[in-house]
Amino acid sequence: MTIDPRYFELIQAAIDGEIDAAGKAELETFLVESDEGRAVYEDLATLCQSLDGLPEIDPPPHLRHILFNMAPAKSAPTPAPGVLQRIFSGPALGYIGMFAAGVALTLALIDSGQISRDAFDDVTGLVGTITSSEFVVPEHGTISVDTSEVAGTVSLRSTGPILIVDFDLSAKQPVQIRAEYSDKSIWFNGFAQLESSGTSIAADSGAVTLEMGGKRRYAVYLNNPGLRPATINLQFMVGGELIHEAKLNYGESD
Amino acid sequence: MNKPDDIKLMERCSKGDRQAFEILLVRYEKPVFNAAYRMLNSPDDARDVTQTVFLKVFEHLDQYDPKYRFFSWIYRITLNESINWLKKSSRLDALDGDTADTRGSPEQEASNAQLSEGMQAALMTISPEYRAVVVLKHLFGCSYQEISEVLEIPEKKVKSRLYSARQLLQETLIESGLHR
Repeated sequence: MTIDPRYFELIQAAIDGEIDAAGKAELETFLVESDEGRAVYEDLATLCQSLDGLPEIDPPPHLRHILFNMAPAKSAPTPAPGVLQRIFSGPALGYIGMFAAGVALTLALIDSGQISRDAFDDVTGLVGTITSSEFVVPEHGTISVDTSEVAGTVSLRSTGPILIVDFDLSAKQPVQIRAEYSDKSIWFNGFAQLESSGTSIAADSGAVTLEMGGKRRYAVYLNNPGLRPATINLQFMVGGELIHEAKLNYGESD
Repeated sequence: MNKPDDIKLMERCSKGDRQAFEILLVRYEKPVFNAAYRMLNSPDDARDVTQTVFLKVFEHLDQYDPKYRFFSWIYRITLNESINWLKKSSRLDALDGDTADTRGSPEQEASNAQLSEGMQAALMTISPEYRAVVVLKHLFGCSYQEISEVLEIPEKKVKSRLYSARQLLQETLIESGLHR
C-alpha cells in the first residue's frame, strides 16, 4: 500500500508540533486504519528523538575571553566603504584568528607560570588593533637577518601604546631569539602566530625569549604605556652560541 | 527563542557598552558554537567560525535592523559562515567517512555516544542546506516560521527540506545499523 503524500506531511507536522486540530483528527483516523502509517510515524518520531538528544558541546574554555576582546571598546565601528572587505579578506582575518590562537597560547603560558596574569589582562581590544596593523600601522623599522642558520626580517610597528614586533623568519635548526627592551616600563602584552605555529615564547622582566625552527611568522606585542622612545635588542642564538645581533628603535631613536 | 531584551542589548552594544556585549556573548556563544560544530563536525573549525560570526556582529552592529529578531540574524550569519567555510575548505563532498569529535569517556553511555557519533556522521552526508534546517529544528527547537525567517526561505520549502533531510538521515542510519 502506498501512503498518500499528504499523510507524510501530517505525520511530520504532528511530530514537529505544528499540526492544527483538523489535521490532527485526520491523521488520527488514518493511523488507526494504517499499519504502514503507524510504522512511518514511529520511525520518524524515533529519528527526531535521536536528533533532539544530540548533546550540546561546550565551547573551548578561552573562547569567550577571546570573543570579548573583539568587542568595540568605546564606540560602534563606522566602517568606510571598502574596510569590511579588507577586514574579512584572507590575511587580516587570518591574523585575527592567529592572534586568537596566540591569546590562547598566552593563557597556556600563564597557566604554566611563565607569564604574569597581568600581562594577559591588558590584551583587551588588541584584535582590532591587529586588524588595523595590517594596513595602516606605521612601521618604525625593519632589520634583515641573513646568516647561514636563520634568514628573514623583523619589523617594528606601533599603534597607540602597543608595539608590534613582527618576525618573519626561516631557520634551518632550532633558533633562540631574545628580545630585550631597554625601557623597564614596557611589558609583554601578547603573542600571535601567523601562517604557522610551533614557536614557543617565555617572558620575563624586560625581555621575551622565543624558540623556533623552520619557516615561521609571528608577532610579539609589547605595551609601552608612556609612548616613550625604546630600543629592542635582538639576539639570535643557535645551541647557546650568539650568531646575530640587531636593534629596532621606536620614537626619538627611530 | 528571542530574548526580549536582545534588541536593547544590541542598541547598548552599538554605543560601545561592553557589559551589554558580554551578556549577549554569554547568551549566544554556546548556541553559535554548537550550530557551527554540527554544520562542520570539527571543534576547531567551529571555534574559528564562532569568532568570525561575532566579528561580523561587531562590524555590522549599526546595520542590524531591530524589526528582525536578533537570534534570526546571528543564526543566519552562523549558518552562512559555516557553509562558506565548507566551500572554502572544499569539504562539501565525501564527508561520510568523518566521525564526530565528541568528548567524554567512551565507556560512558556507550550506546548513546555511538548513536550520537553516528548521527553526526550521518548529518555530514547530507547537503549543508538540509543540515541547516535540521540544526535549527533539533538544536534550537525553531518552529517552521522561525526557520523560514532565519534562512529567508518560504515555510513550504522549510517543510520539504526537513522532510528530505530526515529521509536521507534515516537511510544513512539504517545502512550503518543505527536505525531500524
